Amino acid sequence: MRSLKLRLAISIAKTASATSRLLGHKGETLPGRILLAIEPEAISLLAQGKEVILVSGTNGKTSTTKAVAQIVSQLGDVATSGSGSNLAWGAANALMSPAPYAVLEIDELHLPSIIAQTDPTIVLLLNLTRDQLHRMHEVKRVADRWHVECSEATETIFVADIDDPYINYAIVNAQNVVRVSFGGRNHADGAVCPRCGSYLSWVRGNYSCICGLTNKINELKFKKGSAAYRNAILANIVGEIVGANPVEFDKSALERTVTKEISGKKAHFRLTKNPASWTEALQADLHPDVILVLNARQVDGIDTSWLWDVSFKVLKGHRVFVTGERALDMAYRIHVEGIESTVVTNVDEALAQCAGNEVSVLSAYTAFFELVM
Amino acid sequence: MLEIIRIHNELLGTYGDRGNSDVLQYRAGLRRIKARVIDISYLDAVPRTGDIYLLGGAEDAAQLLSLQALRKGSILAKAASKGAVVLAICAGFQLLGTKYQTRDEEFAGLGLLDVETTPGDKRLVGDIAVKSTLFAEPLTGFENHSSVTTLGADVQPFATVISGNGNGVANLDGAMDKNVFGTYLHGPVLARNPEFADLLLERALGEALNPVNDELADEYAKWRRALIK
Repeated sequence: MRSLKLRLAISIAKTASATSRLLGHKGETLPGRILLAIEPEAISLLAQGKEVILVSGTNGKTSTTKAVAQIVSQLGDVATSGSGSNLAWGAANALMSPAPYAVLEIDELHLPSIIAQTDPTIVLLLNLTRDQLHRMHEVKRVADRWHVECSEATETIFVADIDDPYINYAIVNAQNVVRVSFGGRNHADGAVCPRCGSYLSWVRGNYSCICGLTNKINELKFKKGSAAYRNAILANIVGEIVGANPVEFDKSALERTVTKEISGKKAHFRLTKNPASWTEALQADLHPDVILVLNARQVDGIDTSWLWDVSFKVLKGHRVFVTGERALDMAYRIHVEGIESTVVTNVDEALAQCAGNEVSVLSAYTAFFELVM
Repeated sequence: MLEIIRIHNELLGTYGDRGNSDVLQYRAGLRRIKARVIDISYLDAVPRTGDIYLLGGAEDAAQLLSLQALRKGSILAKAASKGAVVLAICAGFQLLGTKYQTRDEEFAGLGLLDVETTPGDKRLVGDIAVKSTLFAEPLTGFENHSSVTTLGADVQPFATVISGNGNGVANLDGAMDKNVFGTYLHGPVLARNPEFADLLLERALGEALNPVNDELADEYAKWRRALIK
């Protein structure tokens, strides 16, 4: 039975949610914030009696959370975080639902505290790479925090893509782990063993360390493939653990891609927010007209130095337009790589100048939401 | 042929500093000066013949590995004493000092610059602007570290801080001694400040460079300077 205080907090938060929606907001942050302000224990209280599944990692959180929620929905109602609202209040908001299952996307820095509060059945760990370093500071710092919490959460099953050495280190002392490997994938930040500090030995995208950390496993070893393919498999492994049947996903469902018709042109938007996601996006087929959108607000990462760790060479021969608040950071970076671009004030202006009817738009986080959502 | 040696980018490449070598090569190319960027990994021996050596920012464990590898043969110190140019950013800058401390341990540095680094009490993260006597205009960059670097008697500060933190003490950023430069500016610093790239090329070549017209580079640097608070 929920306490009076918790019920009161939920009721006020729901009223706030309705008001917020009336005012045209998506209404996921405010009610969660109110709920936690009135009842700081709300997350742990609301999680009681629910099967909680958490999804975290640098890239692929939102789409993989959606995939897991879809798979788990075979078994019953699922409470889930909507639009990448992955901090404590987003979790609190989603957990207000009476659904027996909760599938939540959790920010990397918030994950340890949400694990401690929700006592989850399963935690799916996707990857850890450089992202928003002004906030995360170092990849290792995030992995250290995960390592401590994963070791302590003895009731939880961790599903871990151990091709990422940071993920492997995070779960190395955990009690219940389902280790998954696809192999053949390098890690741009993976030169040093996160466990012992030695130089990792990498051979054809597989690593091993003198301390024993390695991605070589005998079971659950899949062939290598794109992030979308890998995340679909990981989501289905989570589903299998809770007793759901496997679901086949369309590739685009597991990429942050959205196609929008704008002034007679088809703009294919893709979320690109850090070196790993840019590199993944640039490997895909791109249309002859490409628009790059760069912002540098808090959630984009306020430092754009990482642009120099991405190779944009594949854009040679494309007609490239650059826009966003940090358009010049991007324009100069690709200029030095021999790619000239046209700097424009916004995506509409770029689209008007595109020759083709289909255009690839690779977009920073904040811009992606403004343009697509 | 100008040899630009990019040292341990897999270790000292956390904050995009690899771009410094790209910019040097690009701006040399604008003057039809041939330049080659040579990546030296932790497992490779550092060549003695480099004209410009570059070191970037790193996480703690990576910084220590790099230090251990660079101690072998003291090649950097020997090259610098013969006049080679060295540019070291953040963790790379700390390595060049006489010693640096982490929370748990103290290490002897490579000794190219008379500076010492100790852990600070907070993380210094954000845009930074500095004024160096070497340049007419301020330089801009981004800093992300938690150390304090103190200069000894045998070294000059690289710049004074206009906004941000730099060395975290005495309102100074970086250090320099002849052709060896250390700074906390990421960005990468040579992308954000083409005049600094040109100065390093001049020092490496030992002669003045022809001016070049790269409007986008100048527009970019100017725009970033205009954002200084």
